Amino acid sequence: MSRVPSALLPLFLLVGAALPAAAQVDLTFDPARTRGPAQAAVTIVEFSDFE
Amino acid sequence: MRLIVKDLPLASHRLARQAAEAARCAGAEGRFWPYHDRLFAEQPRFAEDRLIAYAVDVGLDAETFGRCLTERRFAREVEADLVQARALGLRGTPAFLINGRVVMGAQPVETFRSVIDEALQRGPLPMGKP
Repeated sequence: MSRVPSALLPLFLLVGAALPAAAQVDLTFDPARTRGPAQAAVTIVEFSDFE
Repeated sequence: MRLIVKDLPLASHRLARQAAEAARCAGAEGRFWPYHDRLFAEQPRFAEDRLIAYAVDVGLDAETFGRCLTERRFAREVEADLVQARALGLRGTPAFLINGRVVMGAQPVETFRSVIDEALQRGPLPMGKP
């Protein structure tokens, strides 16, 4: 089983509401774990676990 | 709308981290979404033999998948997601960022609709370029 070396892409989000202070947070994501177009007007990042 | 899924296996969920790593193994073979859906359907039955059986069910090779799982090939990637979640102050699941706005927990659909409508009114995501 091979890894996907270039799988993680950067995603820079300006995170504000519901946090103590607005923060610039650098996220990475695996394009294989996305649905919908990259240029969508709304992007939802879901942090979840399976249990 | 675009959905990006990231891992936040909680320490209180004993098998969640291995399940997250298993989903990464499935993703490396192009079967992330079917495996993802299967895990949610079967939770919390995540003993290792079951994780492999689910992989076979979605069309993956048991031996290859099992090796990926036991070697923990994607432990670092799952940990990276955890680090990013902590940086965001996220402590529970599910947690969502909707154009940067945090929504915690399994909220009613009306909550998501409201936050999404608000995001649409605000305009495009203030997302930087790599």
